[in-house]
Amino acid sequence: MKASLSWLQSLVPGLPGAPDLVAARLTGAGLEVEGVHVFGAGAECCLVVRVTAVRPHPSREGLRLVTVDRGSASQELVCGAPNVPEPGGMVVLAPLGTYLPAKDMTIEPRAIGGVTSEGMLCSEAELGLSTDGDGIIVFAPDFVPPGTPLLEAWPSASDTIFEISLTPNRPDGLGHIGLARELSVLFELPFAPPMPARLAAREHDVAIVIDDGERCPHYASAILLGVNVGASPAWVRHRLNSLGVRAISNVVDVTNLVLLEYGHPMHAFDLALLRGEKVHVRLARAGETLRTLDGVDRSLDGDDLVIADAAGPTALAGVMGGAGSEVKPTTENLFFECAYFDPRTVRRSARRYGMHTESSHRFERGVDHGDTDNALARAVALTQELAGGLLQGVKRVDQKAIEPGRVSLRMTRMTQLLGHAIDRDVSTRVLKSLGFVLDENGSDADTYRVPTHRPDVSREVDLIEEVARVVGLDAIAAVRPRVRPSVPVGGRERLIRRVREEAVGLGLSEALTYAFVAEGDLALLGAPAPAVRLANPLHEHHTVMRTTLLPGLLQAAARARRHNERHLRLFAVGSIFLEGGELPAERPTVAFLLGGERPAFLSRLQSYDAWDAKGLAVSLVERLVHSTPEVVPFEATTRPQHLHPRAAGRLVLAGKEIGQLGLLHPDVVDAIDLDGEAWVAEIDLSLIDIDVPKRTRFMPIAKFPISSRDLAVVVSENILAGDVARVIGAVAGDLAERVDIFDRFQGGTLPTGQVSLAFHVVYRAKDRTLTDAEIDAKHAAVVTAVTSRFGGTLRAWYRQEPE
Amino acid sequence: MSTEVEAQIDQSLATLRAAFSPRFEAAAGAGGEPALREENAKILGKKGELTAILKQMGTVPGDARKRIGEKVNLLKQEVEARFEALIKTLAASKRDAELNALPFDLTLPGRAPTPRGHRHPVSSVREEVLDIFASLGFAVHDGPEIELKENNFTRLGFPPDHPATDMQDTFWTTSGTLLRTHTSNVQVRAMMSQKPPMAFVAPGAVYRRDDDVTHSPMFHQIEGFVVDEKVTFAELKGTLAEFAERLYGPGTPIRMRPSYFPFVEPGAEVDIGCVFCIQPSGTRRGCSVCKRTGWIEILGCGMIHPVVFEHCGIDPERYTGFAFGMGVERVAMLRYGIPDIRLLFENDPRFLSQF
Repeated sequence: MKASLSWLQSLVPGLPGAPDLVAARLTGAGLEVEGVHVFGAGAECCLVVRVTAVRPHPSREGLRLVTVDRGSASQELVCGAPNVPEPGGMVVLAPLGTYLPAKDMTIEPRAIGGVTSEGMLCSEAELGLSTDGDGIIVFAPDFVPPGTPLLEAWPSASDTIFEISLTPNRPDGLGHIGLARELSVLFELPFAPPMPARLAAREHDVAIVIDDGERCPHYASAILLGVNVGASPAWVRHRLNSLGVRAISNVVDVTNLVLLEYGHPMHAFDLALLRGEKVHVRLARAGETLRTLDGVDRSLDGDDLVIADAAGPTALAGVMGGAGSEVKPTTENLFFECAYFDPRTVRRSARRYGMHTESSHRFERGVDHGDTDNALARAVALTQELAGGLLQGVKRVDQKAIEPGRVSLRMTRMTQLLGHAIDRDVSTRVLKSLGFVLDENGSDADTYRVPTHRPDVSREVDLIEEVARVVGLDAIAAVRPRVRPSVPVGGRERLIRRVREEAVGLGLSEALTYAFVAEGDLALLGAPAPAVRLANPLHEHHTVMRTTLLPGLLQAAARARRHNERHLRLFAVGSIFLEGGELPAERPTVAFLLGGERPAFLSRLQSYDAWDAKGLAVSLVERLVHSTPEVVPFEATTRPQHLHPRAAGRLVLAGKEIGQLGLLHPDVVDAIDLDGEAWVAEIDLSLIDIDVPKRTRFMPIAKFPISSRDLAVVVSENILAGDVARVIGAVAGDLAERVDIFDRFQGGTLPTGQVSLAFHVVYRAKDRTLTDAEIDAKHAAVVTAVTSRFGGTLRAWYRQEPE
Repeated sequence: MSTEVEAQIDQSLATLRAAFSPRFEAAAGAGGEPALREENAKILGKKGELTAILKQMGTVPGDARKRIGEKVNLLKQEVEARFEALIKTLAASKRDAELNALPFDLTLPGRAPTPRGHRHPVSSVREEVLDIFASLGFAVHDGPEIELKENNFTRLGFPPDHPATDMQDTFWTTSGTLLRTHTSNVQVRAMMSQKPPMAFVAPGAVYRRDDDVTHSPMFHQIEGFVVDEKVTFAELKGTLAEFAERLYGPGTPIRMRPSYFPFVEPGAEVDIGCVFCIQPSGTRRGCSVCKRTGWIEILGCGMIHPVVFEHCGIDPERYTGFAFGMGVERVAMLRYGIPDIRLLFENDPRFLSQF
């Protein structure tokens, strides 16, 4: 809402002219002033001057040399405007040094085609008064004496404008009268709203029929005959322009002025275009259409409230008038409407057609249902002032009385809720000046009648708020709370926090990714079909809720690569949304992505590989649950399609699959333009319990020495190292304390298709020192088992000498 | 005969006595400790020169043998002492050389045990805010991101078809549920399932149909609420003042401006004194962040509306409560000077690695 300081000052005599002071008080009372600007900035330097001579520019076509009389002196200026008046005409001069913010221009001496011009004749656009820049401002020859300051002649050409961000509960602030009432309370000044005389006329003959009193409780109207539709005077145009409303014609401008004054939208119909002398406020009927003032044909809905004449709808009630009954320059007779429409009805219609008008904005919030007569009378008076016309008749239909609310305020309750005592006198004074009527004065409680301009007030707590905000929240002292602690509920935050902590500790960086994704991405990644679809997505690539965290991570990775950031260690933690009951199942999930090269120390960089991905996934789970998950390769038939056939594994913890990891399938890499490989893993955190205590029991430290044997076998490359290690462990039995693989080698002198695997076996018995013979026998059995089981050949086995 | 032998032995001993030290020094100088040990073995070893001399003793009579034995022993001690001294000198000079060698190049990068990972700035702020409220006695309460209209709007007192819902442009699902527009749904869930007293904070993702420099369609909020007998606005103010001091530093003032949220009454927006233009004197100059006002808006709050209590089955006469909510992204943007909310969701490694 834009508000004019000069207008407010006329409604609150004595209101300070310092904009910052007014703005601070409004903001402090909950009507937040977001900005203050000056309308017509620069006009204060301008003068009204008389043209005394005009001649063509000696060298420039289209330009003229204009001599003007400034009262004290004359000067010649270069002017390019098409509408320079004949000598005698009055124009506006911006003298040297004037700064015109509308054009961000300071007037300086300027040589044009050899002639120096010291000043500029101004258009309205140059002064920021309107968008009209086609010609300079021209006044009648006898307007004012030459040299008169512009603002003396035309005070409306300057004002201070507040941009007020109103919360939806304050429709009264959508008009200057409401704002003025508020300011009169805040500054404790008298409030002087206009008091239009009651319209004295007979009832006119247009029939007014209202079908539904809930949707239209009040309808007031007036008919004016013989108006002259034309341009409004400067003060009206300036006022409207300063408040962001385009001036159209005197009659339309009057409805807009009343809207800005009372906050009550009105509508003017061309009486001649109302067919059948009838106004019917009713719901639209099946198949009806209406061309609204914006030129759009609308197929109406059975829930739309319309103003119809005998032939059909002619306005969408409270939203916009119809083109068919629009006031035009040729209009002579007017039908004014000032009604109260049900907020919800107006809102549904406005939203249905995506319309948001000054009118619907106010009706949706609830206009003052008690001011229809005043607003109508004001509109009639203003119209007669600006466009003439004869009041032919008025008519008012009250279909349903809206009972004023009555609310009690207990002083004890107010003190208890605020933690701060406010005097009863202060409370009464504040509420009364806001328009509340004190009905009953009990021992502790006061009962107030709620004024019609405050539809938001219906409960005691609303009154408490009114008093508190006017007194000022700063007046309430801060008190340390007495919080009685609660027990945490859910625990998801703790889980996610632990995961984040460990992931960051493992060198991953956290990505914040959108929960909505494109359905195609889920299909591409072999994720479950979406369980939740958006009915009104903002973007076509954000249509469903994710069933995997990968799309967001992959997007981040693709974006990073486009920016030449190739080495990626990212993770994301958040919810995925799967089929559930009434609401979907929200599963906490973590995913990570490795791409590019692993950091190295003074050595050649190497790409991330399967074991980086595995190591990271295993470490992450280990750190969370204190036990080690297994990675089990997928069978070809069950492998998720987004993973590479050569590198795809299930992460298994205590026999339960908790996640998957692997190399992204090259087809997926291509499909999302990832520009290079990426290793990904995703873990379902709902299957992980971070509250499993770390159950450590002390084991006596081994007393007897170890003895180690190594073993290197050459086997077919399709033999899995883990299988070999398992066989070694099984054969060595209790004597083997550990089996570690320490080398895997291919190429060199080895035959193609063969791989050398080397293991280190640590032997130790709990109860004795093992003899060499005993160990050698065991190790020989191990070698035999491995070579026969895997068809390998022994490359070497040897004893490690203890140091 | 015996004296002749004795004289010969004396002669040999004298020769050795004169020679051993220069020989040791020569050996140490030429071959270091190993050469010195070798030289020592040549003299004192089983087949060494002194041993050889000793062996000749068998041919001399008892008393001469005793004399010679004493002389040999004496020489042996001298040799050993010299040898030990030289070994020590060698070790010392070796230690010296080691200590005086070129220092390691500590300008080479350190070998990190793992590369450094980075928390997202939004997460850091989230954790910090939650820690502050935890220390004030609040517990964390989770809630779903996809929610029923009743819990997100109706029970919070949003009137149907009311412009208040425009403040939170909503994503609807095809099944009629919605993506929560705020974490206030947790308030409803807590009040419907628990009896007062309660003091919770509820963090999480929320969604609104907005996308520009300061709005993201998905963002994060932290909601806090206390319900008990006789909870006052003054306590709300005290809680938030405490929070502001802990998050933004001691002495950070707060200011409350009346505002409107359907589920609180009285409702307010809270500003903190601008932390960007504060002067050493404690005054604020005004800057672009605070739009020259000296104040920055950080959260919305108020006393829980009695209608919310009624909808959740709590007696509004007996209980009162306060609630507050803040956008985590906004706090993070202010804290780190991030100008555009979209930077938070692009996950550019050059961005993430700064935090």
